[in-house]
Amino acid sequence: MHLVLIGLSHKTAPVAIREKLTFPAGVQHDALNRLTQAEGIREAAIVSTCNRTEVYAVASSDDGGARTVVSFLADYHDLDVAELRPYLYVITGEKVVRHLFRVVASLDSMVLGEAQILGQVKEAYDHAFNADATSRVFNKLFRQSFEVGKRVRTETAIGESAVSISYAAVELAKKVFETLEGRSILVVGAGKMSELTAKHLVCNGIARVLVVNRTFERAEEMAQRFGGIAVPYEQLYECMREADIVISSTAATEYVITKKDLAPVNRIRTRPLFLIDIAVPRDIDPGVNDLGGVFLYDIDDLSGVVESNLEERQVEARRAEGIIDEEIAAFFAWVESMEVVPTVAAIRAKAEVIRQMELDRALKRLDLSEKDRKTVEALTCAIVNKLLHGPTARLKKAAAGKDGYEYMEVARTLYGLEDSEDRFGPGAFRNLLNLKAREIVEKQKETGEGFGC
Amino acid sequence: MTQVSFVAFWFAMALFTAATVLYAYHFETKRASLSKYATLATGVGFLALTTSIGAQSVATDGTLLTGSNVLVLMAWALVFVYFVLEHFMKVKVYGALLVPSALVVLLVAQLMGASTDVLEGLTPVQQVLLDSWRVGMHVALVSFANAGFLISAAGSLLYLVLERQLKHKKSTKLFSRLPSLAQTDAVARRSVVWAFPVYTAGLLLGVLRAIETDVQLWWADIRVILAGLVWMAYAAYQFMRWRKGWASRSLAYIALIGFALVAVLSVVARTVPAGFHVFGL
Repeated sequence: MHLVLIGLSHKTAPVAIREKLTFPAGVQHDALNRLTQAEGIREAAIVSTCNRTEVYAVASSDDGGARTVVSFLADYHDLDVAELRPYLYVITGEKVVRHLFRVVASLDSMVLGEAQILGQVKEAYDHAFNADATSRVFNKLFRQSFEVGKRVRTETAIGESAVSISYAAVELAKKVFETLEGRSILVVGAGKMSELTAKHLVCNGIARVLVVNRTFERAEEMAQRFGGIAVPYEQLYECMREADIVISSTAATEYVITKKDLAPVNRIRTRPLFLIDIAVPRDIDPGVNDLGGVFLYDIDDLSGVVESNLEERQVEARRAEGIIDEEIAAFFAWVESMEVVPTVAAIRAKAEVIRQMELDRALKRLDLSEKDRKTVEALTCAIVNKLLHGPTARLKKAAAGKDGYEYMEVARTLYGLEDSEDRFGPGAFRNLLNLKAREIVEKQKETGEGFGC
Repeated sequence: MTQVSFVAFWFAMALFTAATVLYAYHFETKRASLSKYATLATGVGFLALTTSIGAQSVATDGTLLTGSNVLVLMAWALVFVYFVLEHFMKVKVYGALLVPSALVVLLVAQLMGASTDVLEGLTPVQQVLLDSWRVGMHVALVSFANAGFLISAAGSLLYLVLERQLKHKKSTKLFSRLPSLAQTDAVARRSVVWAFPVYTAGLLLGVLRAIETDVQLWWADIRVILAGLVWMAYAAYQFMRWRKGWASRSLAYIALIGFALVAVLSVVARTVPAGFHVFGL
């Protein structure tokens, strides 16, 4: 098995190159068919997002596989290989598994810990699966990668805190009010930034939107978009009696909301007031933050929150790497179990355990001489050998073929060589047998004996 | 029965210790499975503590109102109220504060129990005074109310920490782990809403008993005075809560002061052998 990955991402290529190499959903089936028909490519999957295009393949050799995939990328998009090469990265072997797991865990993303990538890789795998471009290795690898993604998101806090200004504002508002459902918001100024922030807040359940602007018509326009109410500018402080959240983004050169004017309003309020000032120069007097129950965040404060959240994600990323190491080890343990030699050895060892158990049971009932005993033993050996010779020889031959892993899987299932999922479940006896078989193999390795016969 | 009580008590202590570690680890990592085990350990610990209290009552032919027993009852009430809180508010953060608090109360009870002898040396007046259902109810109500005040103090403490972080624009790991400002405020306020009337009823029963047994200068007792101060602190809290525009920060400070008085009353004042209210040290 030779794992190959050829790709480019936001780290290696500008958008002008990335946009030339995309594989939208509509063309994936065709592209995968072409790729898997190429010589030496057994399985393939294409992950294509706005930040990366990566072609994963199981090839008959590392170099040959890489060459084929690079040619495919260039041919498919009518590009020159020499033009592409500086932007591409070629990864082979175990590093492919690590790379995929890091991608799915969002450790390789432009925004560390973003949640979208897991869905995008799932989609890529679905395309490959539906196009019959995946088989045993990629089915296992990609499914395990989804587990990695899930584990990283549940066992670390990598995706928890907001890393954009508007989401940071939503997160902080939730920290104050627990839920935004039923809350009211006052938008001061009808600018783009305040509209974007308000949009995020409304998506989180804000019930009432009030818009205040010096030009009443613009306030009405924005209020209409949110199903809110436009209020004359003169009623700004009256509105603040009812509002829970205030977003201010006007072009004013002086403070629009001052501590002196807010203090009397705040005295009659019974709920906290969360103020978001995203204007430069600032609209809200920083002194209002000293009032009880009033929390003011300006653009720098929100940026600071985003920055510290990113730092926290970096710490969590180190924990995620530990999870990835564990999952890589598990994947390669599975790969090893799928090799033909250990599979054949396990089948023979298992047969030997059964032969010996049955032989011992029979000999206890029979009163045989030493000579007869040896004859019966040779008989059982011959039966086992003859029964296993054909299947194991054909298994070795099939293993070299394109679907070799499927044969391995079938053989391991039929002979009950898979480890059970539940230690004490129905597979416990089978595990015991496997354990015994392994012991016998180890012992025979030490003593240099064959499989009993 | 005494042995059963002893074993169950230390089993409960062990489980509360395990729950404390699990709640702390859950607070740090936010792993849901840890919180389940923490709740399980607390639940089993609660049952063990109930068994211990029951067995001790059987062994002594009724619950003796000693200082240590009252503290054990308070710890039991605290865990019980915490479960109610967790059930309704679905927040486990308080477990990291309240379960260790119950553990500390139990440890103090154990230390007090080891150093005092039960109800020996009581005057005939004191024995008459204690011989009433009103005294038992007085102790039970005050214990439950104290549990409520402790939860209110925990909520208030979290409120002040979170408010400070919000005011200073700090986005630390602690910040992300804490519940919202609205929730901490609600926990603090609601706890006082039910604990204050319970405390008032408990005090009234005590006063009633003192008056009907004709104890002279019953009010000139250090613990009675402290209980009055606690009542006044929480009465002020309730009054200010209904006053429009009163900031939650001030209420949080009052709740913390009130609980500081409760702590002095529950532990420190027991070690001052003065006044009529000294039985069951």
